[in-house]
Amino acid sequence: MKVKTILLILMAVMLSALLSGCSGGAMGSNSWSGLTADAEKAYLANGSFVYAVTLSNGSQAWRYPVEKADTKESFFAAPVMTDDGQLLVASAGANHSLISLNANTGTVTWIFAEAEGGWISSLLVTEDAIYAPNTDGTLYALDLNGNLLWKQALDGQLWAPPVSDGEYLYVTSLDHQLYAISLRSHEIVWQKDLSGAVPGSPVLDADGTLYIGTFGSEIIAIDTTSQNTSWSTTTNGWIWDAAVLEEGTLYVGDLEGYFYALDTANGSTRWNPIQPNGPIVGTPLVTDDFIVIGTESGTAYAIDREGKIVWTQTVGGRLYSAPVQGGELILVSPMETDYVLVALDFEGRQVWNFTPAQ
Amino acid sequence: MWDTFIVIPMSNVLLWIYEIIGQNFGIAIILFTMLVRAVTWPLTAQQLKGTQGMQELQKDKEWLNIQKKYKGDKEKLAQEQMRIYKERGINPLGSCLPTLIQFPVIIGLYQAIIRALAATPLSLLNLSRSLYPFLDVTKIIPLNSQFLWMDLGRPESVQMFGFAVPTLAIIVVITSYIQSKLMTPPANPGDQSAAMGNMMSIYMPFLMGYFALTFASGLALYFITSNLLGIAQYAMMGRANWSNLIPGKKN
Repeated sequence: MKVKTILLILMAVMLSALLSGCSGGAMGSNSWSGLTADAEKAYLANGSFVYAVTLSNGSQAWRYPVEKADTKESFFAAPVMTDDGQLLVASAGANHSLISLNANTGTVTWIFAEAEGGWISSLLVTEDAIYAPNTDGTLYALDLNGNLLWKQALDGQLWAPPVSDGEYLYVTSLDHQLYAISLRSHEIVWQKDLSGAVPGSPVLDADGTLYIGTFGSEIIAIDTTSQNTSWSTTTNGWIWDAAVLEEGTLYVGDLEGYFYALDTANGSTRWNPIQPNGPIVGTPLVTDDFIVIGTESGTAYAIDREGKIVWTQTVGGRLYSAPVQGGELILVSPMETDYVLVALDFEGRQVWNFTPAQ
Repeated sequence: MWDTFIVIPMSNVLLWIYEIIGQNFGIAIILFTMLVRAVTWPLTAQQLKGTQGMQELQKDKEWLNIQKKYKGDKEKLAQEQMRIYKERGINPLGSCLPTLIQFPVIIGLYQAIIRALAATPLSLLNLSRSLYPFLDVTKIIPLNSQFLWMDLGRPESVQMFGFAVPTLAIIVVITSYIQSKLMTPPANPGDQSAAMGNMMSIYMPFLMGYFALTFASGLALYFITSNLLGIAQYAMMGRANWSNLIPGKKN
């Protein structure tokens, strides 16, 4: 009887462990890192911690929290710097906290914890406000001290930061919608069905055109004045993250592993799509010399503006986070590797990698 | 292997049901549970047969004789009981096996629910890789996780008098208890296997209740539907032991 009882308990424990393994408790491993950088440091939101890494040598400048991880915090939205030296990090964990850290020291300045859902999206910061889309379907507007200014309920989960032309905020949603919200009235002025979920941000052109990639395997250009679709181009796979815009060309990758350069005038391809060695999730990085993308197969590609591959570098793991430039370095954050941040020079050579202390 | 043969097919069947019934994930889970119950019907029927064999054994002359004969020798009694089980093709764990068989289904279903609801970027990315071509996923993603008052991707509770009452977990405990009791054979003193069945009928509901309390409420919805269908199945087959539900009543 005792043996049977022990077996029963063991079975229950095993089942608990198996179920826990795929639940929110393991949130830290449930997404990839968020990465941003200034001229001196890289800031990496990775699982239960946020790291500041010195660009000159790849050493840790500080870590938040300093000691033990809070199991209710899980960071994977890219941190955002403000002009007054705040580093804003948002947690997708159970605390639903949006935290302002001192970018120099990593100490907490304020915490906003009034949202009902976690923060998967990064933030839009303007001169006097922070716009924070939440998975509870609400867009929160805060002042730079973390006080709630207003909020607007939208449908569906919001996973991407909005863009603004100074008069309106344009917010994409997983419920297939694009919302235009007036910055004066804070009301939804118009919305448009995009026929597919949109986990990435729109890109706003100087002439008022929005470019949006969707899970409907499309890039859609929308004129914000008329609210009409100017053009749409079909891609081979779903578009995950935002495209990047440079002088009339839109660069974007898809989950089937194609990289496109589209003419913003009509959506036609500038050159035949390149097919690197895996799906492309993160927004491409445009530098003066070339465009950098990371693939799910763990390779960073530098591609020139004519569509020629300049160099490739195998980083390892999976490159889902958007690459960023920090000073003279290209930074990528691989997933499923011991090191969580890799710095490359402009020749594609690895300069250093950063492994968090256990 | 587990993903390919269990989680991915389960996720796709769930999403397919979700798509054809008008995008209600709660109804999809209920229908999926009915499908699982239908597929495992022969197994459950076989176990019920074993349970009935146990019940008949309690009145058997030879069985009663060995109970008396080896009253003081537990080891010998167990050996003799095993011999009779073998001779008559009876599974002594008949009352708890159907519940145990649910375990891989529970794990697979839970993973399928979490994958289908895709609450994080990585799970959404994984979902995009798990879908069969016949699904029109562009329309159905993201899934609507709301069903009645529940968010099926999160543990459930209802605010009552200032307290968060886990109503689904309570219903899971009650229905699991009723189901276990209905199929528990009467036990003779010293019958270890039957006692084991009794013990399971007490522990398992609380274990299921704990899972319902802790994990996504979609899983609790599966438990409740499965339990109710189980009770209905036993009743339809005329094998529900209703007298077990009366406290203090011995057979």
